[in-house]
Amino acid sequence: MELWNSVLHVSSLPPELLPALHHLAGLQAALWLSTDRLGDLTLLLQTLNGSQSEASGDLLLLLKTWNPPAKASDDPLTLQDAQRLRDVLLTASAFRQGLQELTTGSLPRALSSLYEAASGLCPRPVLVQVYTALGTCLRKMGSPQRALLYLVAALKGESICGPPLLEASRLYRQLGNTAAELESLELLVEALNVIPSSEVPHFLIEVELLLPRPDPASPLHCGTLSQVKYLLASRCLQMGRAEDAVEHYLDLLALLLDGSEPKFSPPTCPPGPCMPEVFLEAAAALIQAGRAQDALTVCEELLSRTSSLLPKMPQPWKDARKGTKESPQCPSWVSATYLLQGQAWVQLGDQKQAISEFSRCLELLFRATPKDKEQGPASNCEQGYTSDVELQQLRAAALISRGLEWGASGQDTKALQDFLLSVQVYPGNGDASFHLLQTLKRLDRRDEATALWQRLEAQTKLPQENATWSLPLYLETCLSWIRPPDREALLEEFGTSLQEPCDL
Amino acid sequence: MAGLAPRVDYLAGFSFPVGGLAAGKPRVLRLGAEILLSTGRELVYVFDSGGRQLTAVYRFPGQVWHLEVLALRRMLFVLCAWSGVYCLSLDQAGRSVSQSERDEEDSEPPAPVIPVDPDACVLPDATLRAFTVLDGALVTLAQGTAQWKLQLFECPGPGQARPLGKTGEVELSASTPPAGGPGKPEAPRFLPVLCCVSPPGCGASHGLQRGPRGFVLEGALFGLLFGMDATLLESPVVLCGLPDGQLCCVILKTLVTCSSAPGDPKALVRTLHHLEEPVIFIGALRTEPLPEDGEDTRCDCLVALGHRGRTLAVKASRDGAGSPVPELREYCLPGPVLCAACGRGGRVYHSTPTSLCLVDLARGSAPWLGEEADVPAAGLGGLPSLLCPANLSICSVVTLTVSPRPPGGGTELLALSARGRLLTCHLEQSPEAPWPSRGTTMDTGRKIKDLLCSISTISERASSLRRAVEQRDQALTRLNEALNVSCALLSRREGPRPISCTTTTAWGRRELRDVLTATCLLESSGGPRLGRGWVLCVQVLPGARAPDPEAAGPAMTYTVPVDQLGPGGRREVTLALGPGEDGVLDLPVTVCCALFCSLQEALGGALAPSGSFGDASRDEDRPDTLPGPGGICLPLSEHTVDLLQGLRFPGLAVPPAQASGPSGPAPDPVDTFLEACCRPAGPEPPRATYLPPSMAAITVSAELLRAAWGGRFSGTSLSCATLQWLLAENASVDAVRARALSSIEGVAPDGTDVRLTVHEVAVADVCPTGPLQAAEIQVQSCSLASVCGVHGAVLRRMQRVVEEQAARGSSPPDLRMQHLHQTQASHEALLREVRMLRDQLCEEDGAGSRAATATERLLRVYRQLRSPGLLLL
Repeated sequence: MELWNSVLHVSSLPPELLPALHHLAGLQAALWLSTDRLGDLTLLLQTLNGSQSEASGDLLLLLKTWNPPAKASDDPLTLQDAQRLRDVLLTASAFRQGLQELTTGSLPRALSSLYEAASGLCPRPVLVQVYTALGTCLRKMGSPQRALLYLVAALKGESICGPPLLEASRLYRQLGNTAAELESLELLVEALNVIPSSEVPHFLIEVELLLPRPDPASPLHCGTLSQVKYLLASRCLQMGRAEDAVEHYLDLLALLLDGSEPKFSPPTCPPGPCMPEVFLEAAAALIQAGRAQDALTVCEELLSRTSSLLPKMPQPWKDARKGTKESPQCPSWVSATYLLQGQAWVQLGDQKQAISEFSRCLELLFRATPKDKEQGPASNCEQGYTSDVELQQLRAAALISRGLEWGASGQDTKALQDFLLSVQVYPGNGDASFHLLQTLKRLDRRDEATALWQRLEAQTKLPQENATWSLPLYLETCLSWIRPPDREALLEEFGTSLQEPCDL
Repeated sequence: MAGLAPRVDYLAGFSFPVGGLAAGKPRVLRLGAEILLSTGRELVYVFDSGGRQLTAVYRFPGQVWHLEVLALRRMLFVLCAWSGVYCLSLDQAGRSVSQSERDEEDSEPPAPVIPVDPDACVLPDATLRAFTVLDGALVTLAQGTAQWKLQLFECPGPGQARPLGKTGEVELSASTPPAGGPGKPEAPRFLPVLCCVSPPGCGASHGLQRGPRGFVLEGALFGLLFGMDATLLESPVVLCGLPDGQLCCVILKTLVTCSSAPGDPKALVRTLHHLEEPVIFIGALRTEPLPEDGEDTRCDCLVALGHRGRTLAVKASRDGAGSPVPELREYCLPGPVLCAACGRGGRVYHSTPTSLCLVDLARGSAPWLGEEADVPAAGLGGLPSLLCPANLSICSVVTLTVSPRPPGGGTELLALSARGRLLTCHLEQSPEAPWPSRGTTMDTGRKIKDLLCSISTISERASSLRRAVEQRDQALTRLNEALNVSCALLSRREGPRPISCTTTTAWGRRELRDVLTATCLLESSGGPRLGRGWVLCVQVLPGARAPDPEAAGPAMTYTVPVDQLGPGGRREVTLALGPGEDGVLDLPVTVCCALFCSLQEALGGALAPSGSFGDASRDEDRPDTLPGPGGICLPLSEHTVDLLQGLRFPGLAVPPAQASGPSGPAPDPVDTFLEACCRPAGPEPPRATYLPPSMAAITVSAELLRAAWGGRFSGTSLSCATLQWLLAENASVDAVRARALSSIEGVAPDGTDVRLTVHEVAVADVCPTGPLQAAEIQVQSCSLASVCGVHGAVLRRMQRVVEEQAARGSSPPDLRMQHLHQTQASHEALLREVRMLRDQLCEEDGAGSRAATATERLLRVYRQLRSPGLLLL
């Protein structure tokens, strides 16, 4: 900058040097734009434009007012003259600015910057990116239809690329159109499967070269194949399409674990879930789809692969609080694996196996104490339980599951014990209370049942406390299996059955 | 230690530079019966250990920094300095190249020198510093401007089209920026180290062959070090040891392919440890015997060695509750470590300039060191708490490799010494029978050969040790000298110092310009001698002796080596003070002389353990043990050059013989004429035209002056003596004395005339006892700057005189207080006016008629202050 200052402040600059100087300044501007030295760039442009726009620090405005001298006839022939360089710079900086404003959340300003970029000189791939960003911006501003128009325009090109598809899936998700959302994700998976042709070398300074590399927060980041695959699979599972979810999960696992190809396939990287969770979700999806045997295989694979890292099971319990790393607990997913194995046995009809798996799960769970989140979110699966609620929910789920199995095998007292315990463990879980109610009814313990029923009736009158805790997907799925089928009907039925003897 | 002597076999000698091969870049690898070797230069040798001859020599376009070979495909990968990674097949080998292509300048190899085709460069990249090959992938580490960049490429085959497909990239952001820019810098002192490790199932299940330096780790250790995800993915991991000491790892399968989604370093790179010194080696080994067969090579201990011997070992163990925990230990081995290798049975071999050592991580001590040195093991199967290195009596091995499975059992090391010798070193399996005692003639012959070999290695070692001792002696002598000098100079504050420095000034002529030069004369009058390592530092500071260095302007420092100054010796340094190109010489300046002894210089290479390794290894240690600019600084003298010394007197026309400088004060008639012509149109015309000549005066009592002079100037009149005293340091003082002048006209460095006049006056109304004899010194010039300068110089002298008098405790004569009060009052009035004017100027802060009048009034006040001026008694 100092050099530029001294050059530009020389009073008697020979006029024949001006075109070359402006050309050089354009190149410098491109370099500074690509290395993010916007302060220097603004200063340079202010100096180039002279004093009339001294006050303005707006880069776009400065670029617009910058008017490189026209080419004289005897100038050397250049491939890219200063005028064209300026246009490229203008588009690139408008796009950059728009993206930045989009990330920081100043949407109206982002919109105007992106319009500016779209109206400028744009090669097709950049235009697709600009349209995608416009789509994101409009979606966030609450005009999905206009966003859709831009995304469609972005997808009209000859080559399909990822970001607009991902954006479209987000848009459809917001609109509640699950079919379209999943379809765009599937298309995205296909698009990412295509190995990108090697990059064409750029001879001129193009807009592409001046853009920042997309970070995960940017709308132009579409992730890797496995990340998208995971997204697709988990959405399918969430939306109840178990069959599709199973296919996608199995594809994903194969992609991640199959090393037969020398090609390295990247897995989900944070902020996605860690690998054990992917296994667990796959197992949950398999159970959901009725393929319990396969789910068992997935769980066993998970345990066998990590066996060397797990504590030896028959160790006597010692309260050795030497430090966070040394306390003898398993990561939460280990107990979750036993829970899912138990559920798989339930589906296969083997109550004995199921109960023993649930008991193993509970044994681990009641040893565990929730960990402080001091290690950061990146190492969730290395550490213990991420949250209190997750641990409590897991315990409740395991207790209910075992209780159901006791109940099914006719041991109602044991079932009652488990249900009671689970209500204690996690009072917020209404399911346990309903199961308890049913069991009490079956055991004909009317007084307790009535008291519980009254409490439940009062609870349902209250506004439902919506669970804001985000639980792992596999746990959500598992909880959905042990939910009593129809709570309202149960309450009503019990109410009438209570009234009948009273009427007598 | 007697049983430790290994059987050393000398295979071949290779050329080495003066000072021996430097560690870090030479490599040696074994591929069956062939040995691949590079000495850090452009050549890669293929040596047949069976036939004991070179079979091929490849010439690469740059220094070879790293070699790796894929054994099954017989492919050689070579990292060439500043050019990139080359790949060539050892089979198709340009062996067909005719002998005529032999290189003349390298007469040493009897094998054909095959120039490597530039097309063999599979990965051209000048910033590459390390690479490793594994599982069909090429992992490279490149040095960016601010960070290291790890890249993953598809493994190339020979003749594969460029460019290689890049499958992943991540920046090791946490590392400190490596020194040096991206330009063409000097070769880095330390290269980073890469090492691939895989979980147990990884390589075996796919039948893919691992790279040469890959290790398979036990599942528990792998999972503890790299996490659950890496374990589940069964992904190989690359460990990077950086020159700043950082040890970090990257899970290869998590490296992202997609160019639109670069990897997030925080998620992908994990720092395992920081050794705080350059990482020299990373490896893994097996410390516990395997329960099943001994063929499996799952390592259960990861080892990293730093340059200064700091060693990290990590093992998996279980805590009391049964949870797996990493057991991490740091050891200190003797350094500096040149290279290292992991052997079987928990042994780590590492080489220092003086010995090749062996430590056993399984037992702590060397296996046959005997039970007396047994170290208590830290629990069951844990790492030893202490490592005792055993010396193998081979020195200065710069690169080392452990042969996978030597034919006769035991362990075979392949080593390249700093003298370019390729050695094999056999360590017997059983310590009881190190020397087989079957007395056949063949054995005897072999034994004699072995003895000769070991004699040669021992003599090599002895010579290196002798050199080290000599260097240390020299360094100690120099340090002793330096201490003597310091004591002599610092202890005697009073009286003449044994080493002194005097500064004189004179006008000289240099490059067609008159230049004021200062000559510093360093004299030793007996006392200690100055040896190597001492330099004379002359510092020229603007302004008179500045009380605080912050206020001073830019200083110039000249350093002149004093090479051997014995008693009675003298050394003269002449420097030009100015005027420079712009014709400006701002006086006064202060010339400070000091002696400086750099410890680095004095100690030389003595701190490097051995001198046999050339400059590379010697340089390596310096910054570690010594602060860069450390040394001893002894101030000698301080001399202020003011305008009185800078005046020239062309009117005196000094005969050349009396000039003290190398050339007289330039009485060139043409110059004088030209100056006279130019002066009216010179740079100061306004003052010359409309201002009357400025004047300043100081009155000094004769008593004060006589007291200051002591017995000098006894025969001369007061005015003449005063002038001579004022010009005592001027080169023209002799002429002034000869002519007994009391008034003189001179030329200031900027070309203006200055008149200096001394009158003898009687000051009437100061003392109650009557009129006081005094000398009035008048400075007159049409340039105000010159008046100020000369006046300032005179004042400084007076100040010194008054200070000396005050120190002697002489009392001032009686004074009439009234006069003093009067003087003070008038001066205070002037001071007030000055303050007012200053405030006014500050407020207006610009040109204007009021500012002009203010300036004029300031000038008037200045004149009133200067004339009639000070009276000193």
